[in-house]
Amino acid sequence: MKKIININFHSRVIPIEETAYDILQIYMDSLRKHFSAEEGGDEIVNDIEDRIAELFSERLKNGASCITDDDVNATITNMGRPEDFDEEENSRPSGSTRNTGSAGSFTETKTEETHRSLYRSENDKMLGGVCGGLAAYFRIDSSVMRIIYTLLIFISFGTALLLYIILWLVLPPRSMVTDIKKRLYRNPDRRVIGGVASGLAAYFNIEVWIPRLIFALPLILGFLTSIFRHAWFDMDNGPVFFTGGFGGTLFVTYIILWIVLPEANTASEKLEMRGEKIDIESIKNTIRGDLEGFKQKATQVGDEMKKQAQQFGTQLKNKSADFSRNMSTGRSPRQGIGHAIGVLFKAFFLFIAVIVTFALVMALIGLIFTGAGVLPLKNFIIGGFWQNILAWATVLLFLILPVVGLLTWLIRRIIGARKGGNYLGYIFGSLWVIGLICMLALIASVSSNFRTRAGMSEETNISAPANGKLIVKMNDLRPVIYESDWMGINWHHNAPFFEVSEDSLILNTVGIDVIKSADSSWHLRQEKLSRGNTAAAARNLAAQIDFRVQQNDSILYLPTGFAIKPSQQFRNQQVMLVIEIPVGKKIRMDRSLEDFHWFDFNRNMRDHGVDLDWDENWGNNNNSLERDVDYIMTEHGLESIPGSRIPDENRGGDEDQPNDRDKKENAPKDGYRYHKKEVKKLTKVKVSTAECNNDNEGLSPLVLFTKWS
Amino acid sequence: MNIENTQSQMRKGILEFCILSIIRRGEAYPSDIVEEMKRANLHILEGTLYPLLTRLKNAEMLTYRWVESNSGPPRKYFSLTDKGLAFYRELEITWKELADAVDTLANKSERMSENSSLPINPQISTQ
Repeated sequence: MKKIININFHSRVIPIEETAYDILQIYMDSLRKHFSAEEGGDEIVNDIEDRIAELFSERLKNGASCITDDDVNATITNMGRPEDFDEEENSRPSGSTRNTGSAGSFTETKTEETHRSLYRSENDKMLGGVCGGLAAYFRIDSSVMRIIYTLLIFISFGTALLLYIILWLVLPPRSMVTDIKKRLYRNPDRRVIGGVASGLAAYFNIEVWIPRLIFALPLILGFLTSIFRHAWFDMDNGPVFFTGGFGGTLFVTYIILWIVLPEANTASEKLEMRGEKIDIESIKNTIRGDLEGFKQKATQVGDEMKKQAQQFGTQLKNKSADFSRNMSTGRSPRQGIGHAIGVLFKAFFLFIAVIVTFALVMALIGLIFTGAGVLPLKNFIIGGFWQNILAWATVLLFLILPVVGLLTWLIRRIIGARKGGNYLGYIFGSLWVIGLICMLALIASVSSNFRTRAGMSEETNISAPANGKLIVKMNDLRPVIYESDWMGINWHHNAPFFEVSEDSLILNTVGIDVIKSADSSWHLRQEKLSRGNTAAAARNLAAQIDFRVQQNDSILYLPTGFAIKPSQQFRNQQVMLVIEIPVGKKIRMDRSLEDFHWFDFNRNMRDHGVDLDWDENWGNNNNSLERDVDYIMTEHGLESIPGSRIPDENRGGDEDQPNDRDKKENAPKDGYRYHKKEVKKLTKVKVSTAECNNDNEGLSPLVLFTKWS
Repeated sequence: MNIENTQSQMRKGILEFCILSIIRRGEAYPSDIVEEMKRANLHILEGTLYPLLTRLKNAEMLTYRWVESNSGPPRKYFSLTDKGLAFYRELEITWKELADAVDTLANKSERMSENSSLPINPQISTQ
């Protein structure tokens, strides 16, 4: 028994067999596709539909109870199929007297076989039709061409994008029909995410699980390796690297395919996807398969025949409503400026969406990594139960949640999930607000721990060096720095600390100040500073700073930094080393202080929030003493001794890495550095000669300057 | 090079001319045009007619108006515009010339093959 449905077809109510209706729909689809490229294509299809409707109603008037398969087929034979039109039209000379614009489009494609040239495709396009034209030129599937081009854009760092635009401008547009019967589509019927894998499977005629497995492989491997990594933390990270790069590529590939490939929606597109010949027989089979699949689904739902029939009914009703709407508007899905703009927007939207998604994923990964990196540091800043709770709430709700939320939204958007997830947005939103409050509370709580500042002074005895010159040096015993670029962050370049581990944080916020001694002896003072919730707490923390200076006659050894235990917490502890020199004595800062560039001579960082007024004796001059230059204490303060610098070449193979501060100051190239420094030093000399005029051969400052420069 | 292709090519070129000459006689409904051509033993698919009509209409050779029908919705009836008429006249001249030329050539070669056993140009005939 055949099901008969009533359709509203061009203002006529036509009772039609369900199968006949399917055939008709496929036929109309093929016509619409055929004429879509043409100016007035809608009108043509509309006229044909009109005529078909008329034929049907005539048939019904002549006594038929409904329209059968045979009727539809007979009508189609009368009207002709798109293939027949091609045949009829295919050899019209393009130079015919007709001046109807793109009317001869299909003809021209065929004649191009002898002299193919490059055009933009008018009908097969996502953006400008460049890829479609290239595909027609190279005789490949336009989807494949698009994929290749997209990859090309990535590989060429955008140059191909420029080329695309140029081609868009340069190439003349032309409607074209490609001979490719098999095309790459996304398969909406058998999809897990985007239907890419099943589309690929259909294209290459392989089992669906093969591409799926390939796409899922990095995920599985990633899981496995992460498990292994947790089991043996110091395992060689080769496989991780492998899966990382490989998996990333596959991920990007999937996303690109998702964007680029069109979904196979109509029966003829589904046939193209499988590369089958499009005729009525094969379309029938496809439809049958569709229906069977649907029936299967319906039974799987497990309901009674009634429900199945109901669903079937509504489905068909929807379908027919759809159909009649399409029929009446004669809407062509691939034409018109509106559609072009639509595609453009869609492409743009997806492009942005993908970039955003990608950035978010990267941010999430970065967050996890830096989170792990900062984790040991956390113990030094955050203390107490509540601060920890707040910190976790901040990380989870304020940072990770929006990423997850946006990803969810994007994925739902892309796979076209139904709405009705509004409550999801509210949940996400309110949780995020909670996270925000947590963060603010945390900031307030932590900053209260940095509220006040206090310090203590500690006198260290040093003896006067025998030759009247003190050399300040970094302790030769460098600490073992396990991972200098720990977690990809150069701690000691930017941070006020250079090493951090679970149980200690080594700070290098150390400054040196050289001042004139009030008496005739040498003094060394350590001003230890710290911040804290209360002055007492700050002072307590400052007192715990352990910065041991050693003297070996004329050499003062400074440790590389001072360690802080988690129990002490990081409260921006600082040590200011104040060296008091009697007048006439010399001091020299060793280059090692500079080589350990994290050893902070620049007090900019330290000066933040430091109230230097509390000891007027220091902090007034010599922001940075030059290394490897002898300075002499005069009545007016420190003066450098010209010519005392040890030239670089005499230092042998001493590594000469300009430090960060140097780079900031005068960005020296290695060859220039010496020269620049000399100039700089000379300006100092100039001042000193002007003032004291005691330590040169009576040259005028200008002469001196020119001599050295 | 198959015979069908050549035949359809031949038909193709004169299709517009035929359609225009039918419409020239008065307003015409597409299916009537097909019927008339069928009667004249010129078979075309109805589906081919609609694109042609639309193209001619878009080129301002044809115009149409909606005519109420007693059964169902109104139908499109096509008629010739002035431009279309001029176009038709040109085609007519071309067709006459072409027909004469083809006739002359075809009949001449027929006569030749009847009268002499040798073709005029052996080279051409072997091609």
